[in-house]
Amino acid sequence: MLRVLDPRQFAEGEPVVMAPPLAKLEGAVVGLLDNAKIGTAKFYDHLEAVLKSHGVREVVRRRKPDSSRPAPEPMMGELSAADAVVSGIGD
Amino acid sequence: MPLDLQSKTYDVADDFEANELFQKNGWTDGLPIVAPTDDRVRRFLDAVRLGPGALVGTEPVRRRRITAEKVAIAAVMAGCLPSFMPVVTAIVTAMCRPEYSLHGSNASTGGAAPFVVVNGPIRLALGMNATHNALANASRANATIGRTIRLLIINVLGGVPGQLDRSTLGHPGKFTYCVAEDEEDSPWPSLAAERGVPAGASAVTVLGCGAPHQLMNEWTHDPKEILDTYAAVMRANMLTYSIWPGNYFVVIPKQHRQIFAAAGWTKRDIRDYVHETARVTRGQWRTVGKAAVAGRSDEARVYPALRVPEDLLVVAAGGPAGGFGAVIPPWYGTKGQAQTAQIGA
Repeated sequence: MLRVLDPRQFAEGEPVVMAPPLAKLEGAVVGLLDNAKIGTAKFYDHLEAVLKSHGVREVVRRRKPDSSRPAPEPMMGELSAADAVVSGIGD
Repeated sequence: MPLDLQSKTYDVADDFEANELFQKNGWTDGLPIVAPTDDRVRRFLDAVRLGPGALVGTEPVRRRRITAEKVAIAAVMAGCLPSFMPVVTAIVTAMCRPEYSLHGSNASTGGAAPFVVVNGPIRLALGMNATHNALANASRANATIGRTIRLLIINVLGGVPGQLDRSTLGHPGKFTYCVAEDEEDSPWPSLAAERGVPAGASAVTVLGCGAPHQLMNEWTHDPKEILDTYAAVMRANMLTYSIWPGNYFVVIPKQHRQIFAAAGWTKRDIRDYVHETARVTRGQWRTVGKAAVAGRSDEARVYPALRVPEDLLVVAAGGPAGGFGAVIPPWYGTKGQAQTAQIGA
């Protein structure tokens, strides 16, 4: 018999969970963080229209200066007042 | 009394079944592993005098703590010997600096791999290869040290293909990508020495890189003509892959080194010449099918491969015969920058 060790950081897998949904979209402020990839702005234009059609009061859009590095702290601060933030990943 | 290891354990019948467990769970790169048992992992920790919970590095974006225990597990799995551990921990230290962009280069569709150059006396102590087949299989240490980094990325940083690793293609260096510099047979100071590592010390230099591109020119003894071939490969990379400047490696085997030595050319001379010659204009994008972006701004604008001559990292390695060389391009401009860490510092 051989006892071997789990090589992973988290034995239960990656701790990725969905954020809790907003109770309602009417009157909400939603942040859209653009990851600076080529298709994101167009997608967010569409998403912004959809959100507003559901009664979202304000959409705060910010674009990361660099798609490969984290958003700068001041930008995170500007988005932190929103009721919810959508962060784009991938292409 | 040694500290307890913290990892979850699994009981299996034997080493064969241990490999089957790791394969089934996707905990390897697809190649077989050495089973990381308690006593094996402890021997690896002892080699660097680290407790299991000691922090080797923190990936700065997702703030993943990389503990000595997980590093030792990966090193056992990869087939290392305990004596390889100081090199592995130095690589982790270097990659965790924000300028390296560990998260970005691992997750990117660009499919880069950490390319490692080892310098100093530890190369000889570990039997690392710097001559024949320098960029490929020839030495256990080169192979398993590089593979340890891949296994850490998979298991500790979540760099599983299709999950956090979003590479469109990747390249074979993602299995292992580790060379030693041939310091004993080089006319030049080592890469580490040029990057400020004290004489007599060992060090690693790491950069997220694309695949090596091999070139050939054995029809001249003019150092400029030799470098024109290297620069042509860099220009091709700029036009067909990424135009942005950054760190490039050039790996120069002995036959080319002898030409430079005979002409009295130093690594600095090489860097200066390549800095001047590895340049393209935006308009040249039209010659490679990228007319759509060429015209977006001034097509006469000149783009250099290197911001400054020091962006070029010159490595002496390769077999003694053959007019070959290699260019190893960066993942994506300056988004990831080469990092050097002294071993055992």
